[in-house]
Amino acid sequence: MKGMFELLLILAVLVMIPAVDLAFAAGDEPGEYLDRRVIIWNLFFRMMTVAFTVGAVVAGTMIWLVWRFRESHPKAKPTAYEGTDWSN
Amino acid sequence: MSGHSNYPEWIYVAVVIALMAWVGAEAWNAERLVEHIPEGAEVIKVTGQQWFWTFEHEDGTKEIGELHVEVGKAYKFEIMSKDVIHSFNIHDYVVLMDAVPGRVNTVWFAPTDVGEHDIQCREYCGLIHYNMRGTLYVEEAST
Repeated sequence: MKGMFELLLILAVLVMIPAVDLAFAAGDEPGEYLDRRVIIWNLFFRMMTVAFTVGAVVAGTMIWLVWRFRESHPKAKPTAYEGTDWSN
Repeated sequence: MSGHSNYPEWIYVAVVIALMAWVGAEAWNAERLVEHIPEGAEVIKVTGQQWFWTFEHEDGTKEIGELHVEVGKAYKFEIMSKDVIHSFNIHDYVVLMDAVPGRVNTVWFAPTDVGEHDIQCREYCGLIHYNMRGTLYVEEAST
């Protein structure tokens, strides 16, 4: 039953994508005069802002992880197998 | 799944999905705006061949290696190639479109200032590719 639901969901999405595409696609009506340099460079700068922000968050998270979960951290809790005598 | 709450992971997943959707929507919208040709755009047939560009205006005027347009008007380039793949590029106006044999690719632009700009081939097309250049002359409107 769950498989059926997923199949229907996929089919629904497959039908919706072209429908949405058609609804929003550039139609026959003429476009407006615009400066493509402005559109394209603005897009570039916004995307770069997103990329650098995401990059900073990911890098910051990794740095924090390494700092926080080092063995010498005051709040470090040894995992169960540390110091275990494996011969037992 | 044992012993721990995983809601931060779902927040993370949601943030990633939201960001991707936003990035996709922005890019799609920019592409839609840039590709939508305005009414009354003059068609210029651009033909690339080793190793020069030929331009044909609507009135039949042909130019080789240089292109004269008027400021404030929209132009639609219909780009073709006679031999290998080239790429038509007016760097200053961010116009870039491949010229592919057997295909007509279109791109439009509207020059905003009077001036001269470089036209160049941006797809390696053989020995003299480096010198497959032209000049775009943007002139005052005649009317």
